[in-house]
Amino acid sequence: MADKVEKKGNKTAEVLGATYENGKPEGEEMGKWRQKLGNREEKLKYLKTGERYWFGEEWYGSEKRKNPA
Amino acid sequence: MAEKEIKSIDPATVEMIEKAASEGVSIAFERAGKMTACPIGAEGSCCSICAMGPCRVPLPRGKEETPEEKKKRRGVCGATAETIAARNFVRKIAAGTASHGDHGREVAKVFLEVARGEAPGFEIKDEQKLLQLALDLGVNIGNRSNKEIAIDVGEILMKEFGKQEGELLMLKRAPIKRQEIWRKLGVAPRGVDREVAEAMHRTHMGCDQDYQDLLLHGARAALADGWGGSMIATELQDILFGTPSPVASQINLGVLKEDEVNIIIHGHEPYMAEMIAVVAQDPELIAYAKSKGAKGINLAGMCCTANEILMRHGVPIAGNFLQQELAIVTGAVEAMVVDVQCIMQGLVEVARCYHTKVITTDRRAKIEGATHIEFDEHKAVESAKAVIRAAIDNFPNRGDKVRIPSYKTDIIAGFSHETINYLLGGLFRASYRPLNDNIINGRIRGVAGVVGCSNARVTHDDVHVTLVKELIKNDVLVVETGCAAMACGKAGLLVPEAAAQYAGAGLASVCEAVGIPPVLHLGACIDNSRILMAATAMVKDGGLGDDLSDLPVAGAAPEWMSEKAIAIGQYFVSSGVFTVFGVTWPTTGSKAVTDYLFKDMESMYGGMWAFEPDPMKIAKLMIDHIDKKRKALGIDKARERVLYDMAMRRELESV
Ligand code: SF4
Repeated sequence: MADKVEKKGNKTAEVLGATYENGKPEGEEMGKWRQKLGNREEKLKYLKTGERYWFGEEWYGSEKRKNPA
Repeated sequence: MAEKEIKSIDPATVEMIEKAASEGVSIAFERAGKMTACPIGAEGSCCSICAMGPCRVPLPRGKEETPEEKKKRRGVCGATAETIAARNFVRKIAAGTASHGDHGREVAKVFLEVARGEAPGFEIKDEQKLLQLALDLGVNIGNRSNKEIAIDVGEILMKEFGKQEGELLMLKRAPIKRQEIWRKLGVAPRGVDREVAEAMHRTHMGCDQDYQDLLLHGARAALADGWGGSMIATELQDILFGTPSPVASQINLGVLKEDEVNIIIHGHEPYMAEMIAVVAQDPELIAYAKSKGAKGINLAGMCCTANEILMRHGVPIAGNFLQQELAIVTGAVEAMVVDVQCIMQGLVEVARCYHTKVITTDRRAKIEGATHIEFDEHKAVESAKAVIRAAIDNFPNRGDKVRIPSYKTDIIAGFSHETINYLLGGLFRASYRPLNDNIINGRIRGVAGVVGCSNARVTHDDVHVTLVKELIKNDVLVVETGCAAMACGKAGLLVPEAAAQYAGAGLASVCEAVGIPPVLHLGACIDNSRILMAATAMVKDGGLGDDLSDLPVAGAAPEWMSEKAIAIGQYFVSSGVFTVFGVTWPTTGSKAVTDYLFKDMESMYGGMWAFEPDPMKIAKLMIDHIDKKRKALGIDKARERVLYDMAMRRELESV
């Protein structure tokens, strides 16, 4: 999402918009991120991506290689 | 071990030690000064497992042992110093694994009762973690209710304790190469209780008398703790009470309040504490407290139960292990509510000098002279209310000896491995990649786990804080649990601002970018399993080798005292982590056993033990190991480049 166009010198650059929520969480809400995942489908999807080391469709990272170092 | 002169670096602790002395109250700090540790027991050279003994086979002091002398160092049954030291060591592991295992079993029991609707007041708070476990264990999810899934998860995990054959299911979470190492060595644990029982059998009089074989089983029993009992406890607690995410709170005796009913919750298992944290907000109970002249109810934690309710409710911490008696010495604690583990019997004697009620709540841990109000998970709310009422009723009995130290420090706690993953990448790109990248590019030199207890034989908190400051100064990110985390919390290291003040430039820049402290609080001692999982995620993300032993990481328990610490240390070593213990080392009576633990284990597990009481030397050992691993990975050059900073470059250019 490009929400601004800035000129620098004679070049025009698209500035990507924020991909995070506005503001700074305070107090009780400060660290609560798991609550952002609403329903079961979202939670399962997150596990497959966010916790992909264990739940991704295929082996990940160091264990993906056929010939381990 | 030289006797220390300064008892603590924490001013609140020093103030209360002085108050106790002036009021004639006996506390652990004073008793440790009066009672020297038995030197033969300390080196593991005393055997008391049969009635022909106890047999003492100490190493000759101040000189090299001759072969003739060595031959004579045997018990009545002929047991060698090696067998005796190894048996003692394995029994410590068994006790530690049993403690964490029994904790895990109790959580599994409560978990199943909650799932079956038999424990009103509790609920499944973290569906995502439940689904995580269901995927792990192959439990059908579909459209089934959380309770149905939880019953399957709970039943499978409950069986892990009594399983006789096969392997613990959680071992599958470890890097594949690590699992192969365990299988090859024959140390993959079958069931949690099975390995503890076998450890007790092997160490019985006249059974396993080959120290290497004994220590091999010790490794197996310890793995049944880290990847078994402890991990099960952590995971099920997360489902019941919520996976921790960062929370701001405060630590030290200054969190007690002069005008409120102070209740300290102390121990390790969190069900009662969880319910007390919820029920303490009940307006009816607050009104009851006011009717007794108090302004409210103030909860504070102590030891690992404190870590549990801190991470999930932000309840402040009054102190770590060695501060438990001192909290009572303030004269301002109405009730010291305890569950299991690390509860000094001395509490009752100290409480007699003030008005504090020591309330035991667990059927497995009663103390002579304490009040017992047993926690019943079927009537959790009522149990918690009964405890709080007893504390409120005690408020009018406060004497005139009240003095609360003013010291308290801000902390941020609750960095579960899932939360670290999220913080590093965000909801849509959660990943350990940024951590690995910053290790590879050298901004972060490595990661250190600093855990464990406090110990009255060394200057309280000093070894922890000195060690951790030195590590972060050298760009080593530190993860902590237990009383170690509390020591650093009191020293102001658990807040993001500590990065700029204490960390090296590389680590500070990463902490600033992510918004995390240079020392991360991962929870209670049982949550050391979170460190295993975080390290596994680092391996799996790639670029830092194929196994935990390839990572530039090291562990330490510099002020350890409990048998649980030995079990934890051994499961880290058996998982491939170099682990340094301070204070004292329990096998020095046998050079062969000590060499096996300190040297030979490296060729077997990739990790080994070390002993060093001096915090600066511990830091050096850990950093040297981290650098050795960096070199093996071929990333040592990257760090050299990073160390060549801008100021140096400018200096060079100006020549
Ligand atoms: S088992 Fe052997 S060494 Fe141990 S107390 Fe009995 S006789 Fe002594």
